[in-house]
Amino acid sequence: MKLVLLTLLVLASSPAPALAGANRDSGQDEVGPGPNDGPGYSGVVRDAGGAPVNDARVTATYRDGLAMVTRSNAAGAYNLPGYRKGINPEEVKIACAKPGYRQTRVTRKPAPRGQPVRSVETDCWLQRDR
Amino acid sequence: MLRYGQALSAQKSIYSLPVALAEREGLFRREGIDFRVVVPVPGGADLMIDALHDDTVDLTHVATPFLVRAALAGSDAVAIAAEFNDPIYSLVARPEIARIADLKGRVVALADPGGSITYSMRKLLALHGVREANVQVKTIDGTPARLNCLRRGGCDAVPLGQPQDLLAQSEGYRLLGRSNDAVPAYLYTVTAARRSWATANAELVVRYVRALAAAFATIRDPAKRGAVVSAIVDITSVPPSVAERVLDLYAEPGRKALPREGEIEVKALAQVIAFMGESGQLASPLPGAERFVDLRYLREVARLKEEDMRKLAR
Repeated sequence: MKLVLLTLLVLASSPAPALAGANRDSGQDEVGPGPNDGPGYSGVVRDAGGAPVNDARVTATYRDGLAMVTRSNAAGAYNLPGYRKGINPEEVKIACAKPGYRQTRVTRKPAPRGQPVRSVETDCWLQRDR
Repeated sequence: MLRYGQALSAQKSIYSLPVALAEREGLFRREGIDFRVVVPVPGGADLMIDALHDDTVDLTHVATPFLVRAALAGSDAVAIAAEFNDPIYSLVARPEIARIADLKGRVVALADPGGSITYSMRKLLALHGVREANVQVKTIDGTPARLNCLRRGGCDAVPLGQPQDLLAQSEGYRLLGRSNDAVPAYLYTVTAARRSWATANAELVVRYVRALAAAFATIRDPAKRGAVVSAIVDITSVPPSVAERVLDLYAEPGRKALPREGEIEVKALAQVIAFMGESGQLASPLPGAERFVDLRYLREVARLKEEDMRKLAR
């Protein structure tokens, strides 16, 4: 009973700025969904022609506050962990940047109907500076 | 904008309390700082100094061994303020285990073999006549993961930070000892910056340090206890009663978990370096601790504080 109450208390708390994900005291963070985690953020960074852009900096920012930063891989793909449950993904902005490029737009894919959203997919588009 | 790096793990741990509180209480805003916490992914304590160098962040939270390692590898990163001094790691065991000496032959979880937690636990075990060879060591990083191991029966004893150590005790697990019993003054986590960046942005760094110092004052302010408890609850997802006990633990006489104003005890950093030497991470001769700190900003904050007090006295 005590444990059930405690679990409910933990689930009930949804501090706005906190991130989800596993914890380590040292070494690399493990990024994986836990019971209190909201959906992650993923997508592809593309150039104007649709080709993937490698090594672009991708930032997810919640309400102009807590930000997560990663880099796209050779396929242009990026993956970021979720904020905690209760955070509205609509309030999480995705942006991308790379020297010599400027961001032109972001396109968020609609969530599949009737299925839990595991990852919010957003592609980010860059154009080479002239 | 001032971009402050934090590992995902630190972001959800008690070690983020000073900065989280400064944000919540508007202490950065009061200093005119547009402050943003940035979490690099993939990240981790060992990658935070990299985040300074690749311009992901301006300042970063970092555990001192990682700062020392990075600086010796060529980084110009230095500690500009202390965030946590003597960390309190509690060795918590299954209820039927009464003493540390009873751990012989049992499964004991430790953290990163080269890290502060493992070092302090080895010392604590040795104080009670138990060597690492006497126990079955399981390496598990992260207090939450170690608590899970204890709860699921895979570990007989585990080192836990706050608040999970207090949570475990409330569930009936037994406290066998604390890291501070075995390890003297220690500088655990700091705010670090590249020396070159900090010099070029000295005035901003001073304002950051002043906000951080105000956060420590807030933690100690009885009138702010409710706000501090609320911050601990939000950061670590524990009930308020456990958060209250965390604060009480930090306030115990003799415990120096939190600096008074972000001050850096160079001797405590020297202790970290000594531990790194002892555990084979650094070769002799060991470097002096002074090279890993830049105290100018703390000194300037102290000078400004004195100036303010003189003005008030007039």
